[in-house]
Amino acid sequence: MNKTLISLRAALCASAVIGATVSVSQEAYDPMRPAGNPLVPGASTQTPAAPAAEPDPELGNLPAGPGAEDTYYQCVACHSTAIIRQQRLSDERWDYLWKWMVEEQGMFEPDEETRDSILTYLKTHFSSER
Amino acid sequence: MTNKISQDVVIDTDAADEPARRSFLKNTGLTALGAYVGMNIPFEDNLMALAQGMSEEDIMASKDGLILMNDRPLNAETPAHLLDADVTPYEHFFIRNNGLVPDTALNMDAEGWTLTIDGEVDTPLELSIADLKERFEVVTKRLVLECGGNGRAYFNPGASGNQWTTGAVGCADWTGVRLSDVLNAAGVKDSAVYTAHYSNDPHLSGDPDKDAISRGAPIEKAMAEGSMIVWEMNGEPIPAVHGFPLRVIIPGYPGSVSQKYINRIWVRDQVHDGAKMTGYSYRLPAYPVAPGTEVPEEDMVIMTEMPVKSLITFPRSGTETPAGQATEVRGHAWAGSGDIASVDVSIDFGQTWIATRLDPAKNKFAWQRFRADVTLPEAGYYEVWARATDMNGVAQPPVVPGWNPRGYGNNMQHRIALIAT
Repeated sequence: MNKTLISLRAALCASAVIGATVSVSQEAYDPMRPAGNPLVPGASTQTPAAPAAEPDPELGNLPAGPGAEDTYYQCVACHSTAIIRQQRLSDERWDYLWKWMVEEQGMFEPDEETRDSILTYLKTHFSSER
Repeated sequence: MTNKISQDVVIDTDAADEPARRSFLKNTGLTALGAYVGMNIPFEDNLMALAQGMSEEDIMASKDGLILMNDRPLNAETPAHLLDADVTPYEHFFIRNNGLVPDTALNMDAEGWTLTIDGEVDTPLELSIADLKERFEVVTKRLVLECGGNGRAYFNPGASGNQWTTGAVGCADWTGVRLSDVLNAAGVKDSAVYTAHYSNDPHLSGDPDKDAISRGAPIEKAMAEGSMIVWEMNGEPIPAVHGFPLRVIIPGYPGSVSQKYINRIWVRDQVHDGAKMTGYSYRLPAYPVAPGTEVPEEDMVIMTEMPVKSLITFPRSGTETPAGQATEVRGHAWAGSGDIASVDVSIDFGQTWIATRLDPAKNKFAWQRFRADVTLPEAGYYEVWARATDMNGVAQPPVVPGWNPRGYGNNMQHRIALIAT
């Protein structure tokens, strides 16, 4: 087993940690971090870069951008922005969730323009597709 | 990522502000408490706060080290190293809410609380908590509660909902009565198919006609060993956020079946179709699907038994340990199917496995302690992986199993980093 471990380590740690010195990056490494886990199928191709946007503290730290304000006022009627900021969903899932919130959760349905603004914003910033 | 969320949440407290809903009993809190006869007072050190009623913010303050996922509704998970105790204490027990915490719970006011048992029964019952204590044998069982979505964060593509990593699980001592004793007292008819659970927790929209959640269990499961109606958690009245004054525990099933704040169990002649029983909620595809598949709603089936799982609770991930010396690794294992057969750990990424010493379960559906002494041969980075196997020979997979649209049932092996120096 020792032999296996040594060769594994050689392969895994390009920055070869030898002897008693342990690098800081090793200590900080979290094998259970949600993104980039090598054991999650397709993890390396995941985490599409959402458009870089500053969180807006006035809007519950939603990323600033077109539709942020509409999204904030529509959503916080029922829940905080924390649940939004965790999501990374397909466009179809966002459409489904919208329908579910309107039909089953009693969400007020705004005019079409506002709805499109919000859904575009959600699909832009909290997407598994882009 | 979760750390970032928790920091952000602290900043946007404006979103947590509740309207006039919170009109607390300022002076009558103690009276209300006193009305809850025969119970110990929880948070004895914090009696003043209790007398004035708790807010949801107070609840987070009374928890220790939890990672806040969402402040409204309140949801928070526990880092693995804080789940090391055999019995998870209140301050480390995860929080999963679908609606708001009812004022009756925040005020610890159980006066006049009744539980109705009706539907497909010979004799409908309306029981006070005193009735439950008097009429039925009081039992205490150690039972795991785990959110069906625990591990959701690892699904790719992502699934909607709180992005739980590993901490939506806990194991407490629950005191109450067997659900089967109560159902038998009412007389379950042959036509009974499913239980339907109802509570007084307000829906997020504030619509009083909507249930935040109303789930249930197949009647066979409701009648089975372990299913309970409880009023105490770890020897104290159930804390507000965990279901004061009364909740159901259906062990081995997704936590959402174990309804909090329960005031009615309707025995139905069909599968219950209440809030979050239908659509994609707590449902899995009826057949295996490729990640990202849009599964038609009619092909989704209710999630029942939770998968076999384990968690390394000691040492904390990233701990340093001397190379060449034995060091203890320990944790818990549990399964929806009942007891655990074995737990193995690996220090070489699953190439070889080391059998652990496994304690028997205190009772069915309690988690079981495993311990192993591992020796890391030389200085460097190691991972410890844990793999539990249930009595049916079913073990945890090394990768995220069966992708599903809502990200349920992830029982991939838990891993920690262990640094040899």
